[in-house]
Amino acid sequence: MAKSPKQKLQAKNVHVVFGGIKALTGVTLTLNAGDILGLIGPNGAGKTTLVNVLSGFQKPKPGTIELDGRDVSDLSPRKMAQAGIGRSFQAARLFRKLTVLENLTVAGLGIGLSRKAATSQARDILDWIGYRHGHDRQCDSLPYSDERRISIARALALQPSFTLLDEPASGMNEQECELLMETITGIPKNFGCGVMLIEHNMQVIMGVCHRIHVLDGGRSLAEGSPEEVRNDPNVLRAYLGDRASQKNAVI
Amino acid sequence: MRIFERLFPVLALVVPLAGVVWTIDQFGSAGVERVSTEALIRLVFAIGLYIFAGNSGIVSFGHMTFCAIAAYATAWQTCCAMLKPITMSGLPAFIRDNTFPLLPAALTSIGLAGVVAFTSGLILMRLSSLSASISTLALMFILNVIYSNWTTVTMGSSTIVGLPVYVTIWIALGCAALVIVIAYLYQVSRWGLMLRATREDEVAAQASGTSLYWSRLIAFTLSGFVAGLAGVLFAHFMGTVSIANFFLNHTFLIVAMLVIGGMQSLAGAVVGVTFISVVIELFRRAEVGFSVGSMQMSIPAGSQELILAGIMLLILIFRKAGIMGGKELRWPWSVRDDGTVAGVGQVRLARSANCHR
Amino acid sequence: MAYFIQVLIDAVALGSLYALVALAIGLVFGVMKLINFAQADYLTVGAYSLVIPTAAATPSMMFGGLPWALMIFCVVLSVTVLALITERVAFRPLRNTDPTTLLISSFAVSYFLQSLIIMFHGGRPKSVSIGAALTRPIDIFGLRVGGVQFLTMTVALLLLIVLVLFLKRTSIGIQLRAAAEDFSMARLLGVAANRVIAIAFAISGILGGVISLLFVIQTGTLDIRMGIMPTVYAFFATVIGGIGSLPGAVLGGYIVGILSVFLQAYLPEEMRPFRDAGVFTIVILILLVRPQGLIVTSAAKERV
Repeated sequence: MAKSPKQKLQAKNVHVVFGGIKALTGVTLTLNAGDILGLIGPNGAGKTTLVNVLSGFQKPKPGTIELDGRDVSDLSPRKMAQAGIGRSFQAARLFRKLTVLENLTVAGLGIGLSRKAATSQARDILDWIGYRHGHDRQCDSLPYSDERRISIARALALQPSFTLLDEPASGMNEQECELLMETITGIPKNFGCGVMLIEHNMQVIMGVCHRIHVLDGGRSLAEGSPEEVRNDPNVLRAYLGDRASQKNAVI
Repeated sequence: MRIFERLFPVLALVVPLAGVVWTIDQFGSAGVERVSTEALIRLVFAIGLYIFAGNSGIVSFGHMTFCAIAAYATAWQTCCAMLKPITMSGLPAFIRDNTFPLLPAALTSIGLAGVVAFTSGLILMRLSSLSASISTLALMFILNVIYSNWTTVTMGSSTIVGLPVYVTIWIALGCAALVIVIAYLYQVSRWGLMLRATREDEVAAQASGTSLYWSRLIAFTLSGFVAGLAGVLFAHFMGTVSIANFFLNHTFLIVAMLVIGGMQSLAGAVVGVTFISVVIELFRRAEVGFSVGSMQMSIPAGSQELILAGIMLLILIFRKAGIMGGKELRWPWSVRDDGTVAGVGQVRLARSANCHR
Repeated sequence: MAYFIQVLIDAVALGSLYALVALAIGLVFGVMKLINFAQADYLTVGAYSLVIPTAAATPSMMFGGLPWALMIFCVVLSVTVLALITERVAFRPLRNTDPTTLLISSFAVSYFLQSLIIMFHGGRPKSVSIGAALTRPIDIFGLRVGGVQFLTMTVALLLLIVLVLFLKRTSIGIQLRAAAEDFSMARLLGVAANRVIAIAFAISGILGGVISLLFVIQTGTLDIRMGIMPTVYAFFATVIGGIGSLPGAVLGGYIVGILSVFLQAYLPEEMRPFRDAGVFTIVILILLVRPQGLIVTSAAKERV
């Protein structure tokens, strides 16, 4: 679906400092097309900051972001979006006074589609994600879980090569989580893009991710398959801390 | 039928306006006609402001600038051939010594306003929305200072008189209808939609590939053209141009109209201007005095301004989105998919049941 | 050289005045994201409270007839009360709305107050003379300095120092600064919202009262619009200083004040009427280079 699909999104040795506080220190990771990469870590580990860096909202200093080997560190958020990096937000951030359909159409227009193409693409994506009715509903009156799904759909409307999802499952119930997992698993198949998933819900992470990258205190702690990460003693100690024994059962 | 549905938000505004104008033309006094014409010209200006402020969410306090620029430009071209060389000796010779036909004069004046809007927008639209709001004020102050003191060209703070008066109520209506159509076409266009997205959420709009700068600049320029049209209409309705008319008082009036009607929809702009024009006219008459039985009564001068500011505050506190609440008038029987169709819930439940392992 | 020093004194005097107004506006913006257009009318009301409400062009004195200490007290008190009333009646109900709505509402409050003054005093300028003794030039180290300029500079600098000490040293002042930096954080740390907001408005009222007196002594006239220019200048001071930054507001105040005086002094004669246009143009050009203002605060940047 993407116009010129990219194969590889890389963060190389990314540092970010906010007023003396190190949010990210030397983070390096690679996201491949077709992959679903989980990004986990305790609160304040720098997950959202990394998504902000990868989507152009935060400049790495020092560090580089490369898209198929091209340095894109200095691109604006808009150029990043047009270059093929779509993202959703923790707070959904829908255009509240616009309709559901218009929310997706804007993203289509953002990558230069015609009005007609953007609208019909928007309908297709909404259908795919299972939001078949209520296209003309204004977004300030949506249930929480619908907001999340439309935020994902809007990111997909950019025809991205890589989709970054920031806690899409927060506030969803069991059933909605199941649906969401199905959706996320389907993204690489249907849109050919790589997915990076930030999530606190371990069930979702373990259920859909091919690989998992663990951040702690702004540093990369580990990366590997769900199996490897699950059994990494460092991860258990740092990420789960004292509660390790309880949560172990869940994982 | 679909065309009718799509044009309904425009027709629902233009047709009643035309009806009112026809009634006034047939039965109204000259005074009422005059007041209504002025209200229609204000409507043109308000819609110009709406195109930018309503869609971008950035209030401009400086649109009177473009109005003034066009009004003066048309005055230079069309007024007082005999006096011009004396009163406005600083004008370029070809303007000073010639009188231009009305229509080309109007068009070039509107064009000039648009060009100035575009040029100033190149700078102002780079700013954050709040800073941009305030900087539009600077724009108006700059123009006011220049035009009040550029005596050889603008006659300073004196009034330029003797412009041809050609704006009738029907011309004002025609222009109002035209700009309503323009504003509507703009807001449903791709640029309008993208700008409204930036209004709702700047961050998400950027993440969706939208340029804050260009989407705002386009609207700012277009609204500059429309404000320019209002300026030309003002000039050729009054027959006079004076810089004092293009300053804070008038700005406040129009902003108040937009806020009260509802800044975020075209219908709000029209309703606001109509409603406030009627209120102001009633109070203006009450200030002059009216008789109840044999008693002559009047309310103190200046009450209309107090009332206007009061209404505006009440609206802001109790109904922030204005009378129209940011909604357009819609064809009541149109088919809209607002998700209330029966069966939606079942579909979702069925799906989640499937995947629940 | 002597001319330059006189200009410099003027510049510091005016800069301090603008810095004060900008600080008032910056404080209120800090605690509730309101850019308060009505600050202009605090100034105007303060000035008009000197005289008895009539339509006459040379009205008899009200507060202006009192002994000077009492006069200052009454004027400052009435403006402060007015500022607090506007906060309570108009701005408090709007406290959690967006900055644009707040800006518009302050525009409405300003228009309301202006109309009120017109209703009681008429719309024509009036002449009033207070502190005539202060207008005599005085000699400092052999320099002849206008008495009014000297007074303005002294009072404005003094107020600025007192205000800065208040903000830096007293516990209320520190709370106020904390609230201006990050209001929600300050509330979490136990700063009482109603109190800091009321104090911010009270300060803008006090400053409004004092500044209005300085203006009247300088010009000897009352005008409906007398508050607008200083306030609009102060707006730009806060914008170029970096919206939400208090040191930025002071810095911006001095920049616009000094620019204004220097343009007035060194522009060719025939260009001087265009001084304000020049200042605003330079302000816009500064913004072109630094769209976020000179001192960028976290408040100015939207969090992603």
